[in-house]
Amino acid sequence: MNEQQLITDTIRRILQDQCAKVTVDAAEAGVWPAGLWQTLEDNGLTLAGISEASGGTGGELAASLLMIREAASVGAPLPLAETFIAARLCELVGAQMPVGPVTVSGSRFTLTQEGAGYRLQGHAENVAFANLCSTLIVVSSDAAGSYLCLVPLAEISQQVTQTMAGEPQSDFAINCLLPASAVFASAEDLSNQLWCLGAATRSVMMAGAMTSILEQSVQYAMERQQFGRPIAQFQAIQQQLAILAGEVAACQRAAESLNEALAPLNEFDIAIAKARISEAVGSATDIAHQVHGAMGYTMEHGLNLRTRRLWCWRDEYGNEDYWQQSIGRYVVAQGADNTWKTITDAG
Amino acid sequence: MFQGLQFEPVKLPQSSVALRAEVRAFVEGELAADYLRNSDFNAGESVEFSQRLGQRGWIGMTWPKQYGGAERSFLDRYVVTEELLAAGAPVGAHWIADRQSGGQLLKFGTEAQRLEYLPRIVRGECYFSIGMSEPDTGSDLASVRTSAVKVDGGWLLNGSKIWSSGAHMNHYMIALVRTEAQSTNRHAGLSQFIVDLHDPNVTVKGILNLAGDSDFNHVFFDDVFVPDASVIGTPGNGWEQVVSELGYERSGPERFLSAFRVLVEFIREVGDNPNPAQLALIGRLLANLVTLRRMSISVAGMLEAGKTPITEAALIKDLGNTYERLVPELIRVLAPAKTSRRFQNTLHQCILHAPSFTLRSGTREILRGVIARGLGLR
Repeated sequence: MNEQQLITDTIRRILQDQCAKVTVDAAEAGVWPAGLWQTLEDNGLTLAGISEASGGTGGELAASLLMIREAASVGAPLPLAETFIAARLCELVGAQMPVGPVTVSGSRFTLTQEGAGYRLQGHAENVAFANLCSTLIVVSSDAAGSYLCLVPLAEISQQVTQTMAGEPQSDFAINCLLPASAVFASAEDLSNQLWCLGAATRSVMMAGAMTSILEQSVQYAMERQQFGRPIAQFQAIQQQLAILAGEVAACQRAAESLNEALAPLNEFDIAIAKARISEAVGSATDIAHQVHGAMGYTMEHGLNLRTRRLWCWRDEYGNEDYWQQSIGRYVVAQGADNTWKTITDAG
Repeated sequence: MFQGLQFEPVKLPQSSVALRAEVRAFVEGELAADYLRNSDFNAGESVEFSQRLGQRGWIGMTWPKQYGGAERSFLDRYVVTEELLAAGAPVGAHWIADRQSGGQLLKFGTEAQRLEYLPRIVRGECYFSIGMSEPDTGSDLASVRTSAVKVDGGWLLNGSKIWSSGAHMNHYMIALVRTEAQSTNRHAGLSQFIVDLHDPNVTVKGILNLAGDSDFNHVFFDDVFVPDASVIGTPGNGWEQVVSELGYERSGPERFLSAFRVLVEFIREVGDNPNPAQLALIGRLLANLVTLRRMSISVAGMLEAGKTPITEAALIKDLGNTYERLVPELIRVLAPAKTSRRFQNTLHQCILHAPSFTLRSGTREILRGVIARGLGLR
């Protein structure tokens, strides 16, 4: 058994034991699954691929993407992607990643020197899981460069709302004095890093949830009896599930490319993945719900844990139109006769 | 645990970099500036072009050297085929012989058959047609009625095959025929024959397609004598052989590149001043194309590893055909108000041929049935 298979099995066992639908439902009602987070952290899975010097557990970045994908496939209500992005940003600037769940924001902030420290001012919106994290990583970029700030969230009053998937997100104003040790300047464009890592992680999350809704739909079609036989025996259903399988396979393949697209950033591959996968969500969730009938439309059925998240993730960190335009601009700039070269250069 | 259908990432080998540059330069040198490039593999044929490709060693390139092949990998072959298609080169003459007939002879043919046909295919001098469909046999391939009865030293063939592309120019057809009366096992009693299309008892009648091209044909067999030496594999084993053939036929880049030149000409038309909708369309088509290509290369990797990825190939063809049908439809409505004659001709050729994309080599309904079987639904 190879190492990747070992990691996959560990992740799946933990999620199976500790992330049943009742756990996800409880999180939506406001109960943070502390035990699940702790188990993942104890197993070194929340910071896989992040160097030990930055507080991570080392190994390949792909291991983190695997964790994020598997957790997404069961709708795990945890800021695993945000924590991973935060850790990756910390690693880039040489900061020590705080322990526990951490969230990120790339809204526009201003940073001004004040005494021995800095004053950070700004307004953040839709910050995922901020009510459950003790630290916020803020990055901001301007012509002069980028900076990263470690901001304690305890003192900040948040207005907490829920996404369509019932996951918490916060709006808040920041006006705080930070010690110099919490501020890191960088020559890297950290805002772009955050945006691309966000798009990449949302892409693998969608690929995981898409695989899961295909599995659920196939299983349901084989169990559900109508007209005296499983609905899987009807060609009308088979054809729909075949279309779904095609979309899911494309999403999985697009997400696979991201294993090698994060360090250094391969923006083209990230754009391809986020555009392709976000595009697939509409038709894929449509088929999954149609196959499940009214049963899948209930809160009680587990299908909505995936489909509601898919409807959020396709829009977060740039929807398909945003990324399609970004690819389009690049391709047009190369000139019509270099289009094929662009495709083959992408590998 | 259920994972759907997997397409493991496969990297093209380092050797393909130089090969790609070589093919690209060759094609650019071959095509005249005013040649209307069409990336549909069925769109154009040139005996001279096929022979020059053969001289380069780019036909039958995965086959053993003893039959004239170059013993290169399926991935190298992938690079050559996609470069030819993307450039819109006239590949129609040798296409079927290279893609599937030769492979079929290699896999199931006798040593004498391999020695007779493969070196000529490799040189770009010997072309094959597919003989599967009949007037009353389309998707239901096992219902073929063209039959052969055993006679001294061979078989006597009667019946007809239809939609046989290039049969009016090609030398041979591999025909699937019934050699035993149909039993309860519909797949039993079928055989594959090599039929000489120049036999006096073979009549080839052209059929005009809706674009006005006479590419495909109705081929009649009237007591055609087929010697025993022209039976492929074992008599009665035709069904297994034909199913194996489809793995090669369905997963290649020709399943999603047919409309590629329309995309290139669209990008040329929007020029330096694209609007957001045009940019998004270009990006959408690229995101789909790059992903399809990666999936298709995965299957080339499976073929290289000796696997028979029937379901994966069907999935690529379905996804790819759906994509290439969509390309002209989406581009049509977002094209600038005034466009060049070249753009219009490229687009119109694609629209006229697009209905064939989701019919040839298996309709989308048949492919989705194959995928559904792979999912365990049937």
